[in-house]
Amino acid sequence: MTDKTVNSDVNQWFAHNQGLVDILPEKVVVEPYRILKGMGMQPADADDYLLDLISNEMEACKKKLMPEAAFNVHFSHQFSPGKYHIKLDEITFKTSKIVYSFLKKSTYLVLFSCTCGPAIENYSRELMKEGNSLEGLIVDLIGSEMAEWITEEVHLFIEKAMEQFGWGVSNRYSPGYCNWPVSEQHKLFALLGENNCGIKLTPTSLMLPIKSVSGMLGIGPGLKRLAYKCNICDDKNCIMRGK
Amino acid sequence: MNSEELLAKLSECVEFGKVNKNAPFPPAMKGMDGADELTAQALEMGVDPVDILNNALIGAMDKVGEKFSQKKIFVPQMLISAKAMNAAMEHLKPYFQSGQVKRKGKFIIGTVAGDLHDIGKNLVAMIVEGAGWEVIDLGVDVNAAKFMQAIDTNPEAVVGLSALLTTTMASMKNIVAEIKGKYPEVKLIVGGAPVTEAFKTEIGADGYSDDPQGAVSYLNALVA
Repeated sequence: MTDKTVNSDVNQWFAHNQGLVDILPEKVVVEPYRILKGMGMQPADADDYLLDLISNEMEACKKKLMPEAAFNVHFSHQFSPGKYHIKLDEITFKTSKIVYSFLKKSTYLVLFSCTCGPAIENYSRELMKEGNSLEGLIVDLIGSEMAEWITEEVHLFIEKAMEQFGWGVSNRYSPGYCNWPVSEQHKLFALLGENNCGIKLTPTSLMLPIKSVSGMLGIGPGLKRLAYKCNICDDKNCIMRGK
Repeated sequence: MNSEELLAKLSECVEFGKVNKNAPFPPAMKGMDGADELTAQALEMGVDPVDILNNALIGAMDKVGEKFSQKKIFVPQMLISAKAMNAAMEHLKPYFQSGQVKRKGKFIIGTVAGDLHDIGKNLVAMIVEGAGWEVIDLGVDVNAAKFMQAIDTNPEAVVGLSALLTTTMASMKNIVAEIKGKYPEVKLIVGGAPVTEAFKTEIGADGYSDDPQGAVSYLNALVA
């Protein structure tokens, strides 16, 4: 197959598949150790009381989960090396050195949005308000992990589809992380258009529902997912370091 | 039980997170009275609410904060202790309102604009409150105007700013500059995962802590 044929096949795949992704709430998996990690603990630090609490809240969250995920592809883009700018259609993203370096070899760029819906964070807020801070925190962490799980599912869906064309995917990046300013969310959502899963942005560029993830990933021949290279990032205090 | 024994027991309940008789945690104290019942009993016995606060509750939360700093306990145990503390504080509310029991001071806290993360901010708020301070929690995504509105109402308060995203550190810097521009005398303490002592100095804040107990130490030093 020529490069042109492959590109055409990829274009067709996106024409048929971009938009909403089916995510079944019952399939969403969150490992308890991830919740413990979020509270600065190792599995050995947890007693039965805490493990039972996590297990019970996990069940409650699954019932409240209203997952939505969507993506769209952008064929037209322009990379500006010195500035770490990526122009998609008519919108210029001012990314960071690290985000730019992982996306610059992409043939096309994919934007995505994923959300757990509002019920889990509302439940967490209620628990906190009632004075049940531990339960509220556990629910908050479960919501974050569920949002990440949904996002990973979308990433894997695209990765598996690209494999058939001999293409790969890059890591995914979100405004607010790896020195990519959170204010860039507005540009991202402008390009996501109707694929925004109902997520609204605050004036300070934060997503509502809170338990949502948005971002960008690259696709193309030779691309693969790599460890997030914290050692080459100059942001020594980033909370994602070594994650 | 005499009053001394009662306060010691109450202190133990807060330290280990025994909220009330029905609370299943900690398993070793199952079926025993918790902070809720013991505070009520102490007041009925005529124990001075100031003694309850100073000799039982604040000391217990101080131990909790220290154990957390030393990584001997984790966030869950700290939250359960804070819940026990709150159960006791409910009984002391009327005495705070009447002025019979006084707080050490006021502490305004919020997560800076552009950031919705509140776990660290909530932990600090709980431990500071447990240390005898009145906490005014402004929530998350708080801009300079909202902080300054709270300072206008509480000019004697110390202000705490929290950030979790590296990209919202710029927001913290701007808010500190705005507050200091209008209220140079107000003490500002900053914290959060990406924040450092060097960053505190760079942006002109007065204090920095990487854990809740450090915030308490900073605040207590201001009123010592």
